[in-house]
Amino acid sequence: MKALSIGLIVLVLAACSSKKPDDQAFLKSLDSVQTKGTTIDEEVINSILQQIPSPLEISVLLKESGTKYNSNILNTADNLSKYNSNYKKALNLGVYGTDLGYTNIYEQNQDGIKYLTSIKSLADGLNIGQFFDIETIARLAANSKNLDSLLLITTQNFNSINHYLQTQSRANLSVLLLTGGWVEAMQITCQVAAKDPKNKNLQEKIGEQKIILEQIVLLLSFYKDDENMASLLKDLSDLKVAFDKINIIYTYKESTMKIVDGVAVIEDNSTTTINITDKDIAAITSLTNSIRNKIIS
Amino acid sequence: MSEEILKALTQLFAIITKQDGGVTENERQFVIKFFQTELDQDSIKEYLELYDNISGYKKQGTANEDKNKLTSVKDSVKTLGICKKINKTLTQKQKAVVLIKLLELVGSDKNFTPHRIEIINTVSTVFNIEQEEYNLVEKFITSEKIEELNFKDILVLNSSNEKSAELQKHTHGHINGTLIFMRVNSVGMYFTKYLGEESNILNGFIMEPNRVYLFSHGSTIKTQAGDALYYSDLVAHFNEEIKTTKLSFNANVEEFKFPNGAIGLRDILIAEGPGKLIGIMGASGAGKTTLLLTLAGLEKPSKGEILINGFDINRQKDKIQGVIGFVSQDDLLIEELTVYQNLYYNAKLCFADFTEQQLQERVMSTLENLGLDQRKDLTVGSILDKKISGGQRKRLNIALELIREPAILFLDEPTSGLSSRDSENVIDLLKELSLKGKLIFVVIHQPSSEIYKMFDKMVIMDTGGYPSYYGSPVEAVTYFKKATHQVDSNRGQCETCGNVNPEQIFNIIEAKVVDEYGQPTNKRKVTPVQWNDMYKERFKIQRIEDVKEEPPSTLKIPNNFKQTIIFATRDFLSKLSNKQYLLINLLEAPLLATILAFIIKYKSAPGGKEYIFRFNDNFPAFLLMSIIVGLFMGLTVSAEEIIRDRKILKRESFLNLSWNSYLVSKLSILFLISAIQTLTFVIIGNLILEIHGMTFAFWFVLFTTACFANVLGLNISSAFNSAVTVYVMIPLLLIPQMILSGLLFNFDKLNNLISTKGKVPFIADLMASRWAYEALATYQFTNNDYEKTYFQYHKEESKADFKAAYMADELKRRNLFVLQNFESKNDSIKNLVAANLTILIDNLKNEPFKPGMENTDFSKEFSLQNYTKIRGGILDAYLDDYKKNYQEISNKNVDLAEKKMAFYEKKGFNINDEKNAHYNESLADLVKNVNVKQRLLEYDGQLIQQINPIFQDPSPKSAVDYRTAFFLPTKNLFGQSVSTYLFNVLVIWVMTLLFYISLYFEWLRKLVEASGKVNIPNKLTRPFKRKQRFGNVS
Repeated sequence: MKALSIGLIVLVLAACSSKKPDDQAFLKSLDSVQTKGTTIDEEVINSILQQIPSPLEISVLLKESGTKYNSNILNTADNLSKYNSNYKKALNLGVYGTDLGYTNIYEQNQDGIKYLTSIKSLADGLNIGQFFDIETIARLAANSKNLDSLLLITTQNFNSINHYLQTQSRANLSVLLLTGGWVEAMQITCQVAAKDPKNKNLQEKIGEQKIILEQIVLLLSFYKDDENMASLLKDLSDLKVAFDKINIIYTYKESTMKIVDGVAVIEDNSTTTINITDKDIAAITSLTNSIRNKIIS
Repeated sequence: MSEEILKALTQLFAIITKQDGGVTENERQFVIKFFQTELDQDSIKEYLELYDNISGYKKQGTANEDKNKLTSVKDSVKTLGICKKINKTLTQKQKAVVLIKLLELVGSDKNFTPHRIEIINTVSTVFNIEQEEYNLVEKFITSEKIEELNFKDILVLNSSNEKSAELQKHTHGHINGTLIFMRVNSVGMYFTKYLGEESNILNGFIMEPNRVYLFSHGSTIKTQAGDALYYSDLVAHFNEEIKTTKLSFNANVEEFKFPNGAIGLRDILIAEGPGKLIGIMGASGAGKTTLLLTLAGLEKPSKGEILINGFDINRQKDKIQGVIGFVSQDDLLIEELTVYQNLYYNAKLCFADFTEQQLQERVMSTLENLGLDQRKDLTVGSILDKKISGGQRKRLNIALELIREPAILFLDEPTSGLSSRDSENVIDLLKELSLKGKLIFVVIHQPSSEIYKMFDKMVIMDTGGYPSYYGSPVEAVTYFKKATHQVDSNRGQCETCGNVNPEQIFNIIEAKVVDEYGQPTNKRKVTPVQWNDMYKERFKIQRIEDVKEEPPSTLKIPNNFKQTIIFATRDFLSKLSNKQYLLINLLEAPLLATILAFIIKYKSAPGGKEYIFRFNDNFPAFLLMSIIVGLFMGLTVSAEEIIRDRKILKRESFLNLSWNSYLVSKLSILFLISAIQTLTFVIIGNLILEIHGMTFAFWFVLFTTACFANVLGLNISSAFNSAVTVYVMIPLLLIPQMILSGLLFNFDKLNNLISTKGKVPFIADLMASRWAYEALATYQFTNNDYEKTYFQYHKEESKADFKAAYMADELKRRNLFVLQNFESKNDSIKNLVAANLTILIDNLKNEPFKPGMENTDFSKEFSLQNYTKIRGGILDAYLDDYKKNYQEISNKNVDLAEKKMAFYEKKGFNINDEKNAHYNESLADLVKNVNVKQRLLEYDGQLIQQINPIFQDPSPKSAVDYRTAFFLPTKNLFGQSVSTYLFNVLVIWVMTLLFYISLYFEWLRKLVEASGKVNIPNKLTRPFKRKQRFGNVS
């Protein structure tokens, strides 16, 4: 019996130590690729990141514009299983965050919970699961009256994730998170705009993104050394070219002060005019769509 | 006797007497007498007529010589015909009697003419009686001079001191004239005749001189002088084997006490030599079986001793090994084996030195002796599903003891439940054995007259364990009759038929006092004590001189290894022959696997379109179920093993076989079954659920678990007395295994009494299921083809991330608290400060990262006394570095894992497919403990990481500290880091070994016995321990 068990143990050991012979090959490849990454001043990145508005805000505009809820334009939660690398995880965490906001604004709780689950799962994968107390969120989501607080919590969560990642020297993830969220918001806006071409408001909103995109491209450029980030940067740079055709004219006028009900109120009289053509919109829509599909696949 | 035979005999008689001078009156009278013993009054006439007709009675003298000659030839032919007819129907014994009758007939008038003798000779030849024996019989009947009887089969009893012929046997007795006994050896019968004047009494009837009597079993002859000659004495004279067997049996049971204090036997003396068949009778509750058990050495008398050849049966067991055989009342057969196999394996265990051929011959000859040779290939079958008859079962039981030919044999009611014919066969066999020199004790209940008379001696017990008679069976009747002054007290048996009614004895012993209305009361006329007083007066038992050598024994037990093989083969064959058992056991596992896997396989892929292993949420539960199935199968297959074998073990306890060999044989078969069962389970389960690359690892864990269950099952099987109890025990054993397996109930959320945060509770460490589950889960997670590639990076990342994200902040917070409060005078705050400092020291003293703190002795500098603001400040700054350092490590490992993924993707691997096939999300969530809310917990003055146990390293406090949280990938084994899989499997094997030791010493059985003095009959080592009630199962 003793001999038998020893024999079996040996077999187990043998079974454990087989497979994947190219582990060595990988380590070798590491050596050859090894290049000194540029040091990135995190403070710079952080300050830029702070300026980028949360993509969730776009969703609010969409609802206000009176368009109907359409789940087909969102990234399906089932795609979750495709995201294995941190790069994909972070990007799609952003994507799902936007999708969640969209469903929340339209009070689509069932879909919302699906996104919540996916978000939780991705966050766990990125070691930031602690920001999602899935029980509380699900409890809130069950009652549409809690919508405000749910939205608040998720928005806050995304903010605190961003902040947290930055403190953890993982700002790159934060950048990806924001990029993913922004691209998805762009995608939703473009899709809605494509169905509602008369809506000037939406078109202007798209045009406005030029400024944000510039910042994102700037952020991504810090991470050129990373293969994935570099490829994303290239795509977004292409998009930026399309955006460059848009003219944003900012007309400055002196601010005036009025006394309203005995309180002094300063009125901003400056105006921003965005010149955007349908052609531009179409180009942006198509580019956004291809980038977004690359991200979610 | 059938009409046909009687007719044939009448014809024979007639033909013989008709020769040479015809029938004389004496001869005719003899024939009439013969008819009288066989026929009723009316039929006698008919047969006498036939006889007269053929013999030519009354027509005598008319025939001339020529005619005479002619008839004699004719008669010879006729004789032949008749004899052939008789040959077909009568047994050899009966034929011997016929022959003697014929000779006696002729001898009645001493008219031995050549013709007559010639015809009788013909008869003897046709009857296949050997010439020598014929000569003996002829001489015995015809001769009146003892000198002529020079045969070794003749015994002469007279008053002279010397024998009158060389070969004959002689014994001295106070008698006038001569008693001659003849043994017809071929049929084992004894005949006697008396030459002289006295009126001696044979079985209560006066013997006529010169008449031949059959001296049957239990017969007694009493001379006028009062000497008694018993059948058994006579046999002893003739029997060489008895004379050469060196055996003495002296039992002196002064007292036997039951465990409850009641006295079971009092003052019993039994002294016997070889070649005796001794019956033990008694009313129910008299202690017959107790006496038998005590004599056999299975029970120890509280006072007294039992000596075999001077060796104490209870103290010098090694000297009398194999001498004693015991056939209990129960069937002790292996029901699944054939008659032959039962005997064969038993013989194999008894005769290590026999060759295969010798063994087979021994078995066959034993079977033939018991008339079982025709049935040898039949399966024994259970009592409900009988394949062989009750009598055959009984005989096989006896055969199992007989095959090793013990010198002393004890049988407890061998005839109970048998037909009178079977009973007689069994007792016949015992009688025959006793004639071969064995000493045989038989507890017998309500024997028939035939059987009763066959005993050489009878011990009669009375209520309360008092002996009341010890002596010749037939005489017992007269003894009790005399004692109660009954009429006809001299007659032990019926005048005409020779029957003895043993019931009479008990009617007398237990006769009740009758009240004034003629109703029997509860009071006995003669109490057991009174009978015992009479017994003491009447029976002065002489102790037999102890033979001064070791008793004969043929036993030679094989060595332990061979025993194991024999046991295993026997067990294996019996299991093979049990088709139902085999089928159920072989189909159980694949069936369960199919059911389980089929039910929990669903379209698990996101979107619900197909089944993907990665998203099967049931996988963690499947692992637990596999373990439960392993445990359950292991338990059920073994739980009945020892109970089922207990009766066999009981029988074999006399052989003093190795308990270890038996257990090893059991285990090797059970392990084999378990191996097959678990293998089929794993193969089918993994196939259906598409679990890849885990077959061997899973199988080995399940096999280990099943083996553990096997040994556990054997433990309970050996401890409890019925299969039902054992099966009731199974849930009791299994449910704790489920509760504390670690999956159903989180170890952190158990009762505070048993739960330890950050460690598996100690009580759960006693559960095989917990070890098995952890082994399976950690192995699957860390060694699946996907995770295996990145595990190292994931682990490093997780460890560093925890330190950076939680530990650094936590320590910082605590340092800050200390910094603010270390000068406080408040006691409770002081305590808090001290606690925080301890935590700081604990977590930092073994910290590998210590730039700026290289020369710091944490335990010294950060003690409450030595803490200063400056030190606190340094620590705070250090913790910032600490955090940054681990962030970097974490990020580096993330980066490496990413790069590796990219590397493989470039090489053409589809990482997603690989992950789908090998990685299970549900299991990953479980082993990463992702749902825990508090990732870092303070418990008992320590900081405990709750998240990601699968990526942690154990932090043992000492070399033997094996305890960790659940799902750690490695464990500490005497200072070595060993994979949890290996460690846990090892733990289960150690548990199995411990249970084996407990099984070997039968700790559980002893515990069960000790607790509350629960009565467990049929115990193993003392299998015949009686129930604690006073009495006897009859």
